[in-house]
Amino acid sequence: MKKIPILYLNSILIASIQTELTDEEVLSFQSELLKKNNKLMAKGVIIDVSTLDVIDSYMAKVLGDLTTMVKLQGSAFLLCGVKPAVSSTLVDMGMMLTKIDTFLSLEKAFNFLTSNDRKFQ
Amino acid sequence: MDKNYLNQVDDIPIKCTQDIVISRQKGRELARKSGFSVSEQTRFATAISEITRNVLTYATEGDCYLFEKTLDGYHMVIAQIVDHGPGIDNPKLAMNDGYSTGNGLGLGLPGAKRLVHELNINSMPGKTLVEIIIKGRVYR
Repeated sequence: MKKIPILYLNSILIASIQTELTDEEVLSFQSELLKKNNKLMAKGVIIDVSTLDVIDSYMAKVLGDLTTMVKLQGSAFLLCGVKPAVSSTLVDMGMMLTKIDTFLSLEKAFNFLTSNDRKFQ
Repeated sequence: MDKNYLNQVDDIPIKCTQDIVISRQKGRELARKSGFSVSEQTRFATAISEITRNVLTYATEGDCYLFEKTLDGYHMVIAQIVDHGPGIDNPKLAMNDGYSTGNGLGLGLPGAKRLVHELNINSMPGKTLVEIIIKGRVYR
């Protein structure tokens, strides 16, 4: 079973999904991410999908669920790097992922979380 | 070469979720080789993903066949997904957004139909065939 590395940097959890995952692998990734977030109490979680060619309705559902779950835990959830073809495919299919906060790149997402923090200091 | 030549490119047995990934990767690769755009490749691969997942949800196992065909100046890439499950009770109803007899979102079939040029269902108890087609003009 493939495992997605989850990195911890500046109180932010970062995971980049670079290979296509089976349903079981997606679910195991989901539970590992939630556990890690609980343990490390991250300010936010960033998922990078910039090399993912296909996001089908199942994967989209899991990403939507993850948003709710991570927010429920008390951290921010950001998605970044959705490819143009993937975004148009999702909308045509009827998956409106409007509740997910998305960014064009990992850098923009990371900067958002870290600069947001500065305001509160 | 015969104009109606239907060339089978691949036969992928669908038994576990790994096979969904393999089917859509091979479908995508075939669309790429046939000269379809990245957007069309993605749509085709996503549609295959939706339909093959239905096989595992409703029929436990099946097959995904990939074909190429050139007809009347159109080049087509075809995926036929076959299973031997209970069949789709009411194909018309199954094409409605949000309708699902399983615990899905009900976007699989209607969603896939919007992604490709053609989606045909031929379903009876014991054999269900869902065919998805993308096509493009051949300038040769």
